[in-house]
Amino acid sequence: MSATGHALALHGLTKRYGSFTAVDDVSLRIERGQFLTLLGPSGSGKTTILMCIAGFVAPTAGAVLLDGRDITALPPEKRDFGMVFQGYALFPHMTVAENVAFPLRVRRMGAAERQEKVRAALDLVQLDRFADRLPRQLSGGQQQRVALARALVFDPALLLLDEPLSALDKKLRAELQEELKALHRRVGRTFVNVTHDQEEALSLSDRVAILNHGKLVQEGAPAALYEKPRTRFVADFLGKSNFLHGTVREAHPGGFAVMAGGTRVIQAIAPDAPRPAAGTPALLSLRPEKIALLGEAETAENAVDGRILSWSYLGAGFAINVATQDLGALRVTLPSWGAPFAPAEGMPVRLGWSATASVPVAEDAD
Amino acid sequence: MEGAHRPGGAAKGLAWLVALYLVLPIGIILPVSLTDQRFLSLPQEGLSLRHYATVLTSTEWLGSIAQSFWIAVGSTILAVVAGTLCAIGCWRISRRATDLVRALMLLPIIIPSIVYAIGLYRYFAGLGLLDRFLGVVIAHGVTGIPYVIITVSTALAAFDPRLEQAARGMGASLWQTLRWVILPRIAPGIASGAIFAFIHSWDELVIVLFIASRDVFTLPRRIWDGINENLDPAMAAVAVLLIVFTVLLLLLDMALRRRRDAP
Repeated sequence: MSATGHALALHGLTKRYGSFTAVDDVSLRIERGQFLTLLGPSGSGKTTILMCIAGFVAPTAGAVLLDGRDITALPPEKRDFGMVFQGYALFPHMTVAENVAFPLRVRRMGAAERQEKVRAALDLVQLDRFADRLPRQLSGGQQQRVALARALVFDPALLLLDEPLSALDKKLRAELQEELKALHRRVGRTFVNVTHDQEEALSLSDRVAILNHGKLVQEGAPAALYEKPRTRFVADFLGKSNFLHGTVREAHPGGFAVMAGGTRVIQAIAPDAPRPAAGTPALLSLRPEKIALLGEAETAENAVDGRILSWSYLGAGFAINVATQDLGALRVTLPSWGAPFAPAEGMPVRLGWSATASVPVAEDAD
Repeated sequence: MEGAHRPGGAAKGLAWLVALYLVLPIGIILPVSLTDQRFLSLPQEGLSLRHYATVLTSTEWLGSIAQSFWIAVGSTILAVVAGTLCAIGCWRISRRATDLVRALMLLPIIIPSIVYAIGLYRYFAGLGLLDRFLGVVIAHGVTGIPYVIITVSTALAAFDPRLEQAARGMGASLWQTLRWVILPRIAPGIASGAIFAFIHSWDELVIVLFIASRDVFTLPRRIWDGINENLDPAMAAVAVLLIVFTVLLLLLDMALRRRRDAP
């Protein structure tokens, strides 16, 4: 298959249902060959955006552009997009091969060429042995692959995926994530994926757009979003986070100090970043894996004493809740291999983290 | 059902009584049709097939059977095409107005057929359709639409609308989607509707009494006239043939349903 993805752009996309705004002025660019994931909780408008791209939902305002051409008014059957539906939507009365051949049959492709393409598509998803089965005779993961083959067989301009892995169990999901990623690399097409699963979004995508209440909250590469969330919502939704509330005491180029009760917390910022004014409230996001347990002689830029409130063993690591006087309960995760001690409830501990470990975030507007 | 309450004696007795009540009038027809007498009665000295022979050699009876059959075929085609398209249209648009349309389409089985027949008589007189094959086909076709609407709407309710979206998303036109995706999925519902529409036309009498007289003489009409005029036991033989034919159609419907419901 040729490696020619297409670039898609959304301009001020808005969809209202009566007084309810499902999608609120979303603008986004998806470059050629990129794997973009629309991530958000249910009701965040991510599926509505996908349906606007596919053409099944007409936006109230705004435009959808494919390679600069306005396709907002184009009906779905004229868009040439492949789509994998939630629950796959395979035709139950057709065999696997007939399902995959459907888009070619619609395009009146000759039988010989059709057969060739169907075989290639089934090869791509390793289902060539199942061509004559009916969908109901396949497992969930196999059905998912048929849906992928069917969506890719006609060399679509764009592949849209609506929660493609949500119906599968955890282990199979992880397996198919790998496959989907490999498939994206192989076919080199532009993929737009919708999910509410943040792990899936992080592991699959080149870029992630996070949505909440119909608005685009933040977008960027997975690592950038995880490391530099701009708002409390993003920090909380993408992975887990502790939030430190305090008041700015003083600010210098490259950092500021926050007082939370009697505890002083130092926060590093970029030298050219705007400095917060002293006396204003501050909110810091601190990831559980960036907190260390300090031994007797160890020190850190930030340190706080606490007691273990509760803990759980997760196989690869421990998740420990530590009660502190000024910062509330802090969640800490540690690798279990080589952990300095066995945690116990009520055990006094000293937590430490560097000034670059935490990130200042904004409270959400709503 | 495993673990369910077993029916008590009284309930069982009542159920059998109802079944008997339904079957008895049909049951009496069979011995009457086999009578050796020349009038409508139970067999006296022995069983005889002479009345079946009369029916199957009489040009009048055979003519009526043929006429009824072709009218039923024609009106079934009319009812299936119109009813299926209407049901699909209502399903696709699916607004409050379409619920109204669907209810309106059920009118022929809601209002008494004699009222319907009087209305038809007035219109058909003006259109020159009285006592015409086409007139009866149209009348039976229109009154057969409700059966098709009911069965096709039921089949569509079980149809996953994402299949239609999927088809369109892959570039299928409305017509291709209809032909390759929607129709194959609802075919058993259409077949059921067709069978019911056929049976409806096959045994319809009231409308025919109003809009046909001499040229169009359907089977139920001939039985009706026979009862009024000469009490010929041949009618009982015809009735048995009618029942057998209808039961066969219903068995076909059941077989189709079983195939559709199979996993």
